[in-house]
Amino acid sequence: MNTTGGWLHSERKSLAARISRVRRFRNMIACFSSLLSLLLLIPVCSAQLTHPTEFQVESAYLYNFGKFVQWPPDRVQASDSLQICLLGKDPFGAILDSTVAGEKIDGRAITVRRLSTVDDSSSCGILFISSSEEARLNTVLAIAQRSGELTVSDIPHFAERGGTIGFVMQQGRIRFEVNRAAAVQSHLTLSSELLKVASKVINKPLRNGQP
Amino acid sequence: MNSPRTRSISTRLTIMNMLVSGAALLLACIAFFAYDQITFREGLVHTLSAQAQIISSNSVSAVLFNDPQTAANTLSALKSSNNIASAGIFTVDDHPFAQYSRAGEGKLLTIPAISEDQIETYRFGTSHVLLVRKILSEGKVIGFVYILADLHEIDKRLARYALIAMVVLLVSLLFALLVSSAFRKSVSQPIVNLAETARRVSRDKDYSVRVADVGERDEVSVLIESFNEMLREIQLREGALQQAHNELEDRVSERTRELLSANRELEAFSYSVSHDLRGPLDALNGFIYLLIQQHGEKLNTGGRELIEHIRNAGKRMTELIEDLLNLSRVSTSAMHMEKVDLSKIAHSIAEELCHSHPQRKVEFVISNTENAQGDVRLLRIVLENLLRNSWKYTSGHKESRIQFGAEGNKGRTVYFVRDDGAGFDPRSATRLFQPFQRLHSKDEFPGNGIGLATVQRIVRRHGGETWAVGAVEKGATFYFTLGSAAGQPKA
Repeated sequence: MNTTGGWLHSERKSLAARISRVRRFRNMIACFSSLLSLLLLIPVCSAQLTHPTEFQVESAYLYNFGKFVQWPPDRVQASDSLQICLLGKDPFGAILDSTVAGEKIDGRAITVRRLSTVDDSSSCGILFISSSEEARLNTVLAIAQRSGELTVSDIPHFAERGGTIGFVMQQGRIRFEVNRAAAVQSHLTLSSELLKVASKVINKPLRNGQP
Repeated sequence: MNSPRTRSISTRLTIMNMLVSGAALLLACIAFFAYDQITFREGLVHTLSAQAQIISSNSVSAVLFNDPQTAANTLSALKSSNNIASAGIFTVDDHPFAQYSRAGEGKLLTIPAISEDQIETYRFGTSHVLLVRKILSEGKVIGFVYILADLHEIDKRLARYALIAMVVLLVSLLFALLVSSAFRKSVSQPIVNLAETARRVSRDKDYSVRVADVGERDEVSVLIESFNEMLREIQLREGALQQAHNELEDRVSERTRELLSANRELEAFSYSVSHDLRGPLDALNGFIYLLIQQHGEKLNTGGRELIEHIRNAGKRMTELIEDLLNLSRVSTSAMHMEKVDLSKIAHSIAEELCHSHPQRKVEFVISNTENAQGDVRLLRIVLENLLRNSWKYTSGHKESRIQFGAEGNKGRTVYFVRDDGAGFDPRSATRLFQPFQRLHSKDEFPGNGIGLATVQRIVRRHGGETWAVGAVEKGATFYFTLGSAAGQPKA
């Protein structure tokens, strides 16, 4: 229907608009599912349509990080799906599931797994460490590093403390800090694109065995 | 001194040359410029596309992680391309994400739609070209990058091309001018020569000129050859004509000379004959007179009658000779042209006649005429002959009337002498003026037929004509004119 020369204003039904409609529709599904689980959150739900919540943004980021990270080849099979694991109390709920539903990174499907203990994280590509795990952070990080996982968390100063990517809130906007040394220790290669948009790039390795 | 026509043929050749070369050059320039425009636009789009591609792939993370600052930094790399007026990134839901503009002219654009199967598209405006490209991540559209480049470069190129085209056009026109002036010698100069010669021929009637032939064998040289051939033909014919004319002239003048000399000989002969005859005749008359005086009584009546006959014949012969001498005299004597009052002469002659024959009752009606131009002595002879003629031919009537006058006829004066005498047979009117021709017998009216011939000769010497109108017993009118219509008497 649209030709190269179809510049008429009426034809401005760009793909963008349609995509955003799809996105909105998807948001509505997400909204619907959250409605089922959290009946009390109806006003928040309607607010989601215009201003994505912190969790929405973070879940999207979580998925997007996968695009800029290269795992060591021996840890990745092409047939494998990329697992995004949540350790501790799940702050996202259905939001993360709906965000990654149907998405693929480098042809790999994405699955979400919720873990109760870090020992189950061996097949995880990305490990989100909930703030509930802050007390055991060093242990968790050490284990995750050994199994070559990209550790992400919204725990304050997470990157400083040896995590690879830590969410920070800056001027009402969610951004993230990157610890390159931690990434190297986990045998991960971070894309320069990712570093470029990081609010801060830290080079501070995790001291092994430190509690 | 080029006439407009001859100038125009070389000018037209020059103009034609210049028009042709100018038009060809102009067309070539237009074609070249059009080609350059297309190529330039294609190149521009290509460059913009590459730049958009770089921008889009470098701003994926910025868009994904909502970092407009980084995106703006990426965009600012476009500073190096000074034809890019502005650029920007829109999110997938059409919100402006990051912006770059060359000179702070940060106007927000509505970006054109891209169909699903296209990755980028562009639009040419009057002064700008807008290129939009999708930003893809994992095959999904996450935003759009647009680049707005101005087309000042094209305008500059256009101006440059126009300048070059103009210079080339001018130079080539100049060159065409030079070439055509060089070719004028071989192309238009022969035509100009031809025209010049043709004009000279028609103006001067000079058929001896020839058009210089040019070495080259073309239509013009054929034309020149034919023209020269024609001139040669005309010259030949004109020569022949002139020769014939000259021969004719020569023959006429020869004949005239012969005639004149024959005439002169004849006149000399008649004069000498008349003159020489007078001597013996005078002797004859004298001796007859002496015979009558001295021996008249001795002769009887019959003898005296015979002698009387001889005497009359001698007298008539004397008159005849006298008249012949007069006739030849009027033909040869020199003329003194002056103003002559013909009426006065007519009066004096009439008086003489009345005086010599007082017994006759003749009324002379002489009207005043304007002064005529001629020899008074000869004109007197004319009037004397005509009036005496009338006097003689009215002698048979008891009372008669003789008129002299003039009347205007077609701008010339016609003099006439009219009587109511014996008249003549109009059928013989032409014979009247021939010498020795008489319409009446000698017994009826004496005379020797020389008078009217003399009149005619004198009138002709004055450049005039004589004619007569009359009928038997109804009188006669003799007309004469002096000088032709042009008024110039013959010498």
